[in-house]
Amino acid sequence: MAIKRGVSFYSYQQAQYFGQMDYHDMCKELHDNLKCDGVEIINEATVPGYPFPSRAFLADWANTMARYDLTPVALDCFLDTMRFRDHVMNKAEAAELIKLDLQLAHDMGFKHIRTMTGLPVEVTERALDTAVKLDVKIAWEIHAPIPIRPNPEIKGLFCDSPGTAVMDTVEFIKKTGTKHVGFVPDMGIFARGPHLDTVERMLRDMKDQGLASEITALMKEVSLGELSTEVEKRFAGRLSGEEKRTLMWKMHAAPEDLELILPYVFSIHGKCHDLTEIPGKPGQYEEPALLYEEVIDVLKKNNWDGYMCTEFEGQRSRQERTMDDFVDEVDQVRRHHEMMARLIGE
Amino acid sequence: MFDNFLVRENSLQNVVKDGEIVGFKFDVRIAEYRGCFLSLHNGYYIDLDGEEYPRNLQKFEINGKEPRDFDEIAKAVWEHWDYGEFGTVYVDKPGGLSKGHHKLGIMQGVLVQYGWQPHDQEWIDNPPDPRDMPFKQTEVYYYDMVVE
Repeated sequence: MAIKRGVSFYSYQQAQYFGQMDYHDMCKELHDNLKCDGVEIINEATVPGYPFPSRAFLADWANTMARYDLTPVALDCFLDTMRFRDHVMNKAEAAELIKLDLQLAHDMGFKHIRTMTGLPVEVTERALDTAVKLDVKIAWEIHAPIPIRPNPEIKGLFCDSPGTAVMDTVEFIKKTGTKHVGFVPDMGIFARGPHLDTVERMLRDMKDQGLASEITALMKEVSLGELSTEVEKRFAGRLSGEEKRTLMWKMHAAPEDLELILPYVFSIHGKCHDLTEIPGKPGQYEEPALLYEEVIDVLKKNNWDGYMCTEFEGQRSRQERTMDDFVDEVDQVRRHHEMMARLIGE
Repeated sequence: MFDNFLVRENSLQNVVKDGEIVGFKFDVRIAEYRGCFLSLHNGYYIDLDGEEYPRNLQKFEINGKEPRDFDEIAKAVWEHWDYGEFGTVYVDKPGGLSKGHHKLGIMQGVLVQYGWQPHDQEWIDNPPDPRDMPFKQTEVYYYDMVVE
């Protein structure tokens, strides 16, 4: 029983887009530098000719896993509801797409698929036989702002009942006794501040660059989590509504909420935007916006066994700039793994 | 996403058919972190030197097939536009573009999203202008291009 490290290749989306890395390069990076074995991919980003890859691709995929001693963990899948263009995809059709993804996951050696946040129970129910037959589990992603504990006040996001979606699925799992349905919580629900990269982008774009400089100076004194309140206190009325919203944040779930669903947590998205060096600790990094230490403590205390896969997302907030200003995804993922390995206690 | 990098550098060219210049074309990638089922790709807002070129003048070439208009593309429900792959946008414009500098603005209309949304039926019935459905591309991106 252990927390194991992995990477979602989503983390290298920019390098892939510009042709700097393909899945072979990513696998080599995991093996040679990150010293981890868990692999998660986006179906529509890694699989050429999705959803019907060639046998040559499948063979090369299996071979690459073998070459670098890697373990396929999760295949990330989507539900684009307007795809048929002459009608809205219904729930039975959604289940058919999930069955295709389950087959693909099976063919590529993945243990579970990660489906859309708040996947309706009816869709899961229709695809469950295939999941059991192929022994590939269905897990939906608990992504911000979806909570773990029921909160009926949350409405209109991702699904019909976002505030109770997690517990609706837990009820289905308990009722049926299935071992093939669960969750992939995203670390973004365990917030302790706004994401640093989006704050930095806001500061770059602010018309009032004098105020931007003052806020930058303030950030050296207060934590990211306190920034919104402190800015409001000191510079009341000087930020636009959008700027204020950029600084706001919410803890959608407490780390201990995980205990309510841990038996059904098949893997975790190690969401991160910025890995900054911890003051006074050269070579050690932290995600200033997220509660990693607290979450990993809960996982350790409960002997949770599974993969936490890095899902680096800090590249996008610099893509309006020139390539010289782009963030180095490979370096950020390495920093994230320094942090995870240290907190796990490897 | 990829604000300055959706359109391939130096790809703006005139299109010649039967010895006549019938329009222009340029290469583009998807403004997303994943590819999409091709049917979800619903054309572009195109502003070239201040003139708009609507969807009915556009065709899209991808996957080694002849350029198709976006009504045909909408039927490609089992075909995929892979992530990072360049496709080519063709635009009808008899006589084409003059040699030299041009300013190309685009906003890509791709109907990808995360699961069911309240607007689904409305967008099936009347697909919105790309500028009214921002997703990963949130505004029109402009490129300084040269026709050789």
